[in-house]
Amino acid sequence: MAEAKMRNVSFPRYAEYNCAFKYIVEQALGCKYVMPPVLTKRTMELGTKYSPDFVCTPFKTMLGSMIEALEAGADTLLMTHGLCRLGYYGELLEQILRDLGYQFDFINLSEYDMGKKKEYLRIVKRFNPKANPARFLARFMEGLRMTEYVDEITCEYYKNCGFDATDGQYKQAYQDFLTAMYTAQARADVEAGYRAAKRAMQSVPLDKPQRPLRVGIVGEFYTAMDAFSNLELEQKLADMRVEVHRWMNVTNQFLRYGSGQKNLRVKIQDLCRYDMGPTSTANIWYARECAERGYDGLVHIKSATCTPEIDVMPVLQNISADYKIPVLYLTYDAQTSDVGLMTRLEAFYDMIEMRKKVL
Amino acid sequence: MEHAYLGIDVGSISTKGVIIDKKNNILASRYIWTQGDPIGAVKELVRLLEEQFDKESYKIVATGTTGSARKLVGTILGATMVKNEITAHAVGTTTFYPEVRTILEIGGQDSKIILVENGVAVDYAMNTLCAAGTGAFLSSQAKRLGIEVEEIGEYALRSTHPTQIAARCTVFAESDLVHKIQMGHPREDIIAGVCNAVAANYLNNVGKGKKIISPVVFQGGVSKNQGVVAAFERTLGCKVIVDPNGHLMGALGVAILARRGSGRREFDFAVENMEFRTREAGCGGCSNHCEIICVYRGDELIDSWGNRCERGARVH
Repeated sequence: MAEAKMRNVSFPRYAEYNCAFKYIVEQALGCKYVMPPVLTKRTMELGTKYSPDFVCTPFKTMLGSMIEALEAGADTLLMTHGLCRLGYYGELLEQILRDLGYQFDFINLSEYDMGKKKEYLRIVKRFNPKANPARFLARFMEGLRMTEYVDEITCEYYKNCGFDATDGQYKQAYQDFLTAMYTAQARADVEAGYRAAKRAMQSVPLDKPQRPLRVGIVGEFYTAMDAFSNLELEQKLADMRVEVHRWMNVTNQFLRYGSGQKNLRVKIQDLCRYDMGPTSTANIWYARECAERGYDGLVHIKSATCTPEIDVMPVLQNISADYKIPVLYLTYDAQTSDVGLMTRLEAFYDMIEMRKKVL
Repeated sequence: MEHAYLGIDVGSISTKGVIIDKKNNILASRYIWTQGDPIGAVKELVRLLEEQFDKESYKIVATGTTGSARKLVGTILGATMVKNEITAHAVGTTTFYPEVRTILEIGGQDSKIILVENGVAVDYAMNTLCAAGTGAFLSSQAKRLGIEVEEIGEYALRSTHPTQIAARCTVFAESDLVHKIQMGHPREDIIAGVCNAVAANYLNNVGKGKKIISPVVFQGGVSKNQGVVAAFERTLGCKVIVDPNGHLMGALGVAILARRGSGRREFDFAVENMEFRTREAGCGGCSNHCEIICVYRGDELIDSWGNRCERGARVH
């Protein structure tokens, strides 16, 4: 067999996780990674144009980002499996791209039995037949460590960035951290970047009241986490001097609770006894957790037609009534104007702020 | 000279303005159509308010704007308070009705519900992707039936057997309505059916999952429609209060907020004669192509917005 050419692998833009995809593709799989351009209106135009109308927005975003990745030189696209419609998306994305005339190799994780360890080896060998499994595993774990760091620092950032007493040092520290992660080539780079970020963020003076307004974010896995898709909701809330808390991220959903969320369900048995979708248990648990901790409000984010999250809404209404915690329900489609969102967020802020003074 | 406060609410369909004194008494008020030209409507509104306003005894020391054009109009008028319409409505209503528990509001393009406890809003909802069951639907159906939108209420109250009209979606409601007209249902019954459909649609969409407790105040342009008021009273089983100034509540609310706020700036009626224009500039900084709106007074750029990053700040 002729020497296999090194693959140029890409995966659609997704929140700030592309640094970890890059690390795993380059360091663990020994392929090249093609970073898709940042998401813009152009991405959405491309994605919307070639998508079925009633598919959820993340599909459109991913399709647009895949097209931009192919334009940027990718020859291999990776698509994840999933527990809702997402599980079928790989097949559909591939077909649409092939019909458009793009040439590429498509590795769809839905075609593998992700419950079996042996399957992982098959996937690795498909990326790079010469990959060394032991070396892969070691570097793959480093990639996961990077994911955990990204989630930890992001969580800390949105909790505090609204109270930065300087002219933007906190945001600068966060951006420096992301740059470090996007350029890391070895474990030492990841660890150093993480430590530097921790130190930098802790050294920025914060001007935070004793009882700041706290808002919890719950919702659909893609839209709730991707800042471009939710029109920078978390930053907008934080800029109003609000502590923004979100449990939902890759670390919590997959790395900590990868084998099921039975332990989360214990606390919400009276509300639901089984999973209604990939994120319902976690979202209901976290919504109640926020309510019990006395948060001032919840924001529920979903893309239009997201069935699992529509099912979560009645339970959130019960939590809202039981604990007297207001919930702002937001539905996103491929719109890129944030005027309507600002109206709703400003009103939500005014409400929880005036309410806190009275209650 | 006593202090007065101006509040202006520029919505998609109508533009409202009030001037109040320190005790929230209305000194001047007007309600006109926006007609797709918020700047023109506001200049006209200012001119009409000036006619009613006693400049000898009062001066306007603070100005507030609300409604979907609040930012643009706020820039033009030099507002001291720019507030979203939900907060403005809540503040306005709770000032005049401290006991209120539920505020229903249906405007031209949006509808909202605000729940109040102890005089402050504790929960709210607003229509998101769809403008079903708002004033725009009522006026287009009035046009179809050949009557003025202001007459709908009168017609509806005359009906004894309102026609059933599918309320879930205005597109379906419209085809259902056409069908019923062609079947020979009397016009009064059709109109009463439309009013019921608006109330049902509202309660099933924005009102979903919200506990509606009396006293209920209903406002926004649609509250002027007796037919919809009757439909709400029947469905909710309680009295629905409609303030004679309900259509001005957003403007009143933002005037009150301007009074409470710290910003002070004397309002100059001369704006009605100034030339304002807006220009859209596309930023070429990246492929997001942000649409930046630049507002000019004469030839002078007074403000711009719409960019998502610092790069756009340079484009004018």
